[in-house]
Amino acid sequence: MSNLNEENYEEERGGFVFDNVTRNMFMETKGYQAPIAMKTGTTIAGVIFKGGVVLGADTRATNGPIVADKNCSKIHFIAPNVYCCGAGTAADTENSTALISSKLALHRYSTGRQTRVVTAMTLLKRMLFKYQGHVSAALVLGGVDLDGSHLYTIYPHGSTDKLPFVTMGSGSLAAMAIFEERFKDDMSEEEAKSLVHAGISAGIFNDLGSGSNVDLCVIRKDSVEYLRGYDQPNERNYRTSYVIPRGTTATLSSTEEVLSKQLIINELDDRMEVAP
Amino acid sequence: MSILEYNGGAVVAMLGKNCVAVASDLRYGIKNTTVGCQMRKAYPIHQKCLLGMAGLATDVQTFLEKMKFRVNMYKLREDRDIKPSSFGNMVSSALYENRFGPMFLEPVIAGLEGDDNTPFISSTDLIGAQCFTDNFVVVGTASEALYGMCESLWKPEMEPEDLFEVISQCLMASVDRDCNSGWGGIVYILTPDKLITKELKGRQD
Amino acid sequence: MDAIKPFDVVQMNPLKELSKPHSMGTTIIAIKYRDGVLVGADSRTTTGSYIANRVSDKLTQVHERIYCCRSGSAADTQAVADYVKYYLSMQSVELGELPRVKTAANLFRTLCYQNKNHLMAGILCAGWDPIEGGQVYSIPLGGTLVKQPFGTSGSGSSYIFGYCDVHYKDDMTLEEAEQFVKTALTLAMQRDGSSGGVVRTVNITKDGCERKMVPWTELPVFFEG
Repeated sequence: MSNLNEENYEEERGGFVFDNVTRNMFMETKGYQAPIAMKTGTTIAGVIFKGGVVLGADTRATNGPIVADKNCSKIHFIAPNVYCCGAGTAADTENSTALISSKLALHRYSTGRQTRVVTAMTLLKRMLFKYQGHVSAALVLGGVDLDGSHLYTIYPHGSTDKLPFVTMGSGSLAAMAIFEERFKDDMSEEEAKSLVHAGISAGIFNDLGSGSNVDLCVIRKDSVEYLRGYDQPNERNYRTSYVIPRGTTATLSSTEEVLSKQLIINELDDRMEVAP
Repeated sequence: MSILEYNGGAVVAMLGKNCVAVASDLRYGIKNTTVGCQMRKAYPIHQKCLLGMAGLATDVQTFLEKMKFRVNMYKLREDRDIKPSSFGNMVSSALYENRFGPMFLEPVIAGLEGDDNTPFISSTDLIGAQCFTDNFVVVGTASEALYGMCESLWKPEMEPEDLFEVISQCLMASVDRDCNSGWGGIVYILTPDKLITKELKGRQD
Repeated sequence: MDAIKPFDVVQMNPLKELSKPHSMGTTIIAIKYRDGVLVGADSRTTTGSYIANRVSDKLTQVHERIYCCRSGSAADTQAVADYVKYYLSMQSVELGELPRVKTAANLFRTLCYQNKNHLMAGILCAGWDPIEGGQVYSIPLGGTLVKQPFGTSGSGSSYIFGYCDVHYKDDMTLEEAEQFVKTALTLAMQRDGSSGGVVRTVNITKDGCERKMVPWTELPVFFEG
C-alpha cells in the first residue's frame, strides 16, 4: 500500500472514469434503457462584421421532449476576447469550453499575451478529435485578436470551418436560410446584430429544439458586450395566482433544528489579473 | 424501462423569499414492488445546503458517500462550509467524470449562500449539465407532473410557511399520478436560522 | 465517399443528420504539367444531405511548395494534414532546404496506413521540389502510396475517369492543364450530388504557388438535359 496521505484516499487522476461502463452495458442488455442526457437542441450562430464578431444563441435546453431549462446560457466564455456558443449534449459543451478556457488562462499567464482565436480553435478541435465524436459538442467559436476577427465552426468529430457567417444546432437550417438571404460583407455592428437576432429568432420559432430568448455577444477589437436576454419574445403572459391557505397540507410530524450561529468567513476575491 | 424508473422517486426544490425548500417522496421500490416507505431522498450536506437525488438507489447511495467525503475534505482544507453553488459545481464535475459510464441519478442542490443567505437552487442531469433557475427544479420519475404543478403553483417571494404549502401540494399532486413514487413525502425548509423538517401524510397505494 | 463511421455517435442527438461526421463527398484532382503541378477541388462539405460549407477549401498547404487535396472525413483529413504540416516544417528547419514531395507523401502514407482502422481519408499529395520537380502522389483509403502523372479522388472522381483518360496528355502547358482540371471538376460536380460549389485550384511551380477560384457562374457548360 502506498502512503495514505489525504489525496490517496480517493485517487485523483483527472480525466474520465470508466468504472461503471461494464455495469451499465450489462444493465442495458437486461433491457434497462440508459436515461438521456440534457441536450441543447439549439440554434446558435455567428456573423463577422466590420469591427468584430456577433455571436448569438437561443436559451432552451431539452431533455427528450421536455424543456429542461427555459433560460439557459449557451454563449460560453473562452477568453476575454473569445467566446463560444455550444450545441449538443449540454454537459459536453459546458465542460469542453470550460476545460479549454482554463488551459488558455494558464497559457496567458505563461506567455503574457492575448489569446488568439486559432489557439482556442486548435485546442478544441484536438480535444474533440481525440474523443472521436463521443464528446458531442458542436461549437461556434468567435473572437477578435491581433490579426482581426475570426469565426469558426467546430464539429463534434473535430473538423473545423472558417467562414464569415455560420449557424449550428438543430435550428441551423432555419438560421442559415436567413443568413444566406441577408448577409453582406462589412456590415455595421447594428446590421450584424439585427441579422443574428433574425437568424436566432427563425430558429426559436421554427425549430422545436430551440426556444425562449435570444442571447447575443458582441466582440469588438477592445471590448465585449454580452447581451443576455437581448430579446425576450416568449415571456410568460398568463398567470393565475393560486392561494393555498396555510395549514392545508396534512402533516404527520414537524421538527425544527435551530441552526448554530456560525462565523462566516467571506471568500476572498483574490483572482490574479489576467493579461488582456 | 428506464434505469431511473427501477427504484422510482421524485424530488423537487423551490426558491422562496430568503428560504429554500426541498421535498421528496418516501417510496423505495424495486420495479413494481414497493419495498420500503421511509426512504428520504434529500440529504443535508451541512447546515445551509441540501442535496436531493432521484434515480437508481445504489448509485444514489454511492454518490452520496462520495460527496460527503469530498465535502468533508473541502471543509478540512478550507476551514469553512462549502457554498451551495460551489457544491453544485462539485456535484457536476463528479458526475461528468463518469461521462461515458454514468451514475444513474439526477441531483438537485438547494441552500442559502453567503452572509445575506441568498437562496440558491440548481439541478443537473445524470452527466452533470447544470441547470440554474430562480424558481424551481424537479427530478425523478414524477418530473413531468411536477413541472406542470410547479409551473402553476409557484410564485415569487413566498414566505417559508407558504413555500411549504406550495411545494407540498406540488409534490403530493404529482406523485399521485406516478406509480413509481409516493407513499408520503418529506419536506425540508431551510431558512436563515432554522431547518424545518415536515413529514407529509400521503396515500399508501 | 460519404463517410459515416461504424459507430453510432448520435444516439442522443435530436437531429441525426447534422451530427453525423462531417464528410467531404468530394471531387479532387491533381495533375503534373510542364512547369509543375496543378491541384483542384470542388468546395462542398456535407453532413448527411445538408451542405455544411459551400465554399470549403480542400486544398491544404503542408509546406511552401507542397499541397494536399483532402477527401473523406473532414476531421480525419484535417488532423492528418496538421501532423504532416508539423513534421515537414520540423524537417525543413533541420535540413535547411525544401522537403521533397515524396517525403510529404510518405508521411501521409505512414499516418494513413498505420491508423487505417480509424481513418477515413483519401488524399492526393502534390507539389514541387528541386530534385524531382513536379510530382503527384495518391494515398487512397487503405494507405497505399502511388505515384501518378495525374490523380483523382473523392466520390465525384468515378464520374470523370473516362474524361481524364481520354484528355490527359504528357507535358501540358498551364493553360491546357487549367482547362483539363476545370472541365474534369465541372463534369464531376454536375453528376455527383455531394460535389459542388466553386472550383478551387492551386498552381505549384518552382516560383511559388498561385491560387485561383472559379465561381459556378463562370464554369463551362455541358449537356444538361
